[in-house]
Amino acid sequence: MATTATTADGARKKLLEVKGLRTYFDVEGQTAKAVDGVDFFIHENEVFGLVGESGSGKSVTALSVMRLIPDPPGWIDGGEVLFRGKNLLDLTYDEMRKIRGNDISMIFQEPMTALNPVYSIGFQLTEALQHHQVMSRQDARERAVEMLDLVGIPDASRRLGNYPHEFSGGMRQRAMIAMALSLTPHLLIADEPTTALDVTIQAQILELMLDLRQQTGDSSIMLITHDLAVVAETCERVAVMYGGKIQEVAEVKRLFTNPEHPYTRGLLASLPRPDRVKQKRLQTIPGIVPSILDFPKGCKFWTRCPVKEDVCEQVEPELVKVEEGHWCRCHLVSAAETPPVEAPAGEPEGGTE
Amino acid sequence: MSDSTGKSDGKLLDVKDLKIYYPIHAGVFLKKVGDVKAVDGVSFTVKEGETLGLVGESGCGKTTVGKGIMRLVDVTSGTIDFTTKAGETIDVVPLDRGSMRPIRAEVQMIYQDPFSSLNPRWSVGDIIAEPLGVHMPELSGKERDDKVAWLLEKVGLRGEQAGRYPHEFSGGQRQRVGIARALATAPRLVLADEPVSALDVSIQAQVVNLMQDLQEEFGLTYLFIAHDLSVVEHISHRIAVMYLGNLVEIGPAREVYSNPIHPYTRALISAVPLPEPSMGRPDRQRLVGEVPSPLNKPSGCPFRTRCPLAVESCAGDLPPLIEVAPDRQVACPVVAGDSASGA
Repeated sequence: MATTATTADGARKKLLEVKGLRTYFDVEGQTAKAVDGVDFFIHENEVFGLVGESGSGKSVTALSVMRLIPDPPGWIDGGEVLFRGKNLLDLTYDEMRKIRGNDISMIFQEPMTALNPVYSIGFQLTEALQHHQVMSRQDARERAVEMLDLVGIPDASRRLGNYPHEFSGGMRQRAMIAMALSLTPHLLIADEPTTALDVTIQAQILELMLDLRQQTGDSSIMLITHDLAVVAETCERVAVMYGGKIQEVAEVKRLFTNPEHPYTRGLLASLPRPDRVKQKRLQTIPGIVPSILDFPKGCKFWTRCPVKEDVCEQVEPELVKVEEGHWCRCHLVSAAETPPVEAPAGEPEGGTE
Repeated sequence: MSDSTGKSDGKLLDVKDLKIYYPIHAGVFLKKVGDVKAVDGVSFTVKEGETLGLVGESGCGKTTVGKGIMRLVDVTSGTIDFTTKAGETIDVVPLDRGSMRPIRAEVQMIYQDPFSSLNPRWSVGDIIAEPLGVHMPELSGKERDDKVAWLLEKVGLRGEQAGRYPHEFSGGQRQRVGIARALATAPRLVLADEPVSALDVSIQAQVVNLMQDLQEEFGLTYLFIAHDLSVVEHISHRIAVMYLGNLVEIGPAREVYSNPIHPYTRALISAVPLPEPSMGRPDRQRLVGEVPSPLNKPSGCPFRTRCPLAVESCAGDLPPLIEVAPDRQVACPVVAGDSASGA
């Protein structure tokens, strides 16, 4: 499986590479820099997590990749989104339409708002199939039944005629996944796919997403969540966002056992740990997440950082490599070797494939 | 505030066989055609000074239990005995609005959504002062302002912020305002319904710590209703697990978490993701299907339709809570026998 995703020299191929992405919004005359210079990449056949609190820019990053930023008030101010080497930001509207669904598809947090309430589930599933793949109505219907079956909706052929309100929350999310995966996209972007669901259903849905990925071949998943525990269980690599920037990227095991950024450390320490010896009090990150309009100058996190120094208030740190596959944006964390000239989350030598 | 009168057996709240049904009406004459059995015979006690965590998935009836205790919904049957500051034990179920009012001062509520539970047109000072106006009308304006400032400081805000409006605060700060409002009448019991679910991870821990500090300072008793088992396990002394309107297991928090006995509790706890990448959950018990509708509950044990251990007799009567160890009860005759002999 992994062999298909490597280049000749043994390195894994990058499916998506985001470089210097900036997405801004106009908020009552002020510019909200929701995403302000984001760099990361996703390998082929990889589950990649993007973690952050509300307002960190994680969803805007995903919507920018899909080119779904409402304009106005928002716009992509700069950067590149390279999908298999092609910059999606250069595509025309029609070209991008072909990419969505076929190559990259997305599932959202609240399936009730993402599904159209006045069309049956079957119609919504087959519509996408007929639009993107030249397929007869009969074939599309068969494929739709097959997909609903695959995501574990019982009695799928009868269920095609149901409307979204006739499905439970978990079933709606399954239907969304069926829809998103019916065209076997190379990249599935899942934005908080289980946040609205109960834990037992969450476990079912996450398992389902991972299972289907194996079945459909070499696709990658970008999982956006605020829940570090979900990341720990499902992802291979993870990026932590705060204040519209990536603050730390690493393999999941590295990040959880050896977090470098004070924000990542704070987040991990503040989680209640029922699997460990009970602490009387939880550790906290002081203060509040600043409003998107007044993130501080310098490091975005310094106002809440327990170890900040004077330099942090003035100079924004670069994302530097601390060890193989592990980058961190903090003045107090020293780079492995000489820091790269510009600060890409990708390998410094990595250009376009 | 700290004048806790000594009481019979330390039970602040004693709920017995609580049933809350919502009638369904249909047809031209709106004839009653059935009931949604939201809470279907729930019994538990909350001791003074403890935190009882009430957990379960959406639709299990945990919020309705809280509303029943506050008498915000009509109780179908059962008793809810509350021991007042004066040491009297009163069943709140038959009380009318007027006689419920003094109890309301002693039982307060914290809500989930700090964005919709505060009136956006009122300053936070007015929001916190409102229960004071109702329950302590004898206070002068100055006394009331002082009390509001004192409460704001108790929850980690500043007294001079009383003139600000909810939109000027972040989610976590609003939840602090909600807590200050709940504490205004010096309650003994605080029902907290998902108080941290809407908050960001880094803010959740702050609010959980605040609630624990206030509990220590004022001797508060909490009924902590939530679906996040990790948070509930952290804050609670005991945990009660609900499924489809019934309690299935109750016991000390750590024990219920680390050694769940009821098949539903086991599945629920094994589904909780842990922030530990190396571990995985090989022990994860996958539940099939979804929670049945409370409109037509299965006969007997409500969990039997999804239970891996279900036997024929489970369809008979509703299994009662069986004591399997001191302070530990489980509503499953199939597993209770094993654990009782093991304990």
